[in-house]
Amino acid sequence: MTVEKGKKLARTILDTSVNDKLTTDPKLDSGSQKRIGDQLRAMYDELMQQPVPDRFKELLDQLDKKNGGKGGSQ
Amino acid sequence: MTPEPEPELREALLAAVPSLRAFAISLSGQVDRADDLVQDTLLRALANLHRFEPGTNLNAWLFTILRNLFHSEYRKRRREVEDPDGSYAGRLKVQPEQGSHLDFEDFRSALANLPSDQREALLLVGASGFSYEEAAHICGCAVGTIKSRVNRARFRLASLLNVEDIEDLGPDSMTRAALQG
Repeated sequence: MTVEKGKKLARTILDTSVNDKLTTDPKLDSGSQKRIGDQLRAMYDELMQQPVPDRFKELLDQLDKKNGGKGGSQ
Repeated sequence: MTPEPEPELREALLAAVPSLRAFAISLSGQVDRADDLVQDTLLRALANLHRFEPGTNLNAWLFTILRNLFHSEYRKRRREVEDPDGSYAGRLKVQPEQGSHLDFEDFRSALANLPSDQREALLLVGASGFSYEEAAHICGCAVGTIKSRVNRARFRLASLLNVEDIEDLGPDSMTRAALQG
């Protein structure tokens, strides 16, 4: 019963995410493609350059401490 | 002998964090949620280190984990909320980063308008530097599917951003076209 529900849900999600009005694959001219790519990378680079939050350094620091022990199990 | 995490591994994981964050932020549209995703990804990676095949692409492996976490969480949320699409898209649009340039606002909201499978394919191939093959592996689908999604994503972004009808590119566009082959 719940499995059925899950399957149905999965199908629904699949359908909606694939449900795209464009049925053919349009092709962009290379100039536009370049512009899109440049903007995307510029936006992304800005995100990449943000400092790494301390929580990640701390998380990975715990690795080193556990190194002599049994490893991390929670 | 259980394999203990090496210092090099710690460095490698730490080095992967900026690109994981950029992907997670662009995917989810929320910095807080993205950071939670990255943290969960690291924890899961550490717990499953024995499954990682040395010599293969660590980043691709981490991206796969993050992507799967993102989707399972998204599915969970869809189950909980009746009409999540509107609010989700809305949240994606409103995420001015501290100190970020306004120039990216249009781009971000256009990106938020893409179906999530297209957005993710474009981010992997167009920004994260993965090959089509790697992206297909990360998303668990065929290479052709990734190519198609990336094409559609670019096309839709171009129409949302009105990139197409720009005609003042001049000789530069020809140079670009030539360079792009």
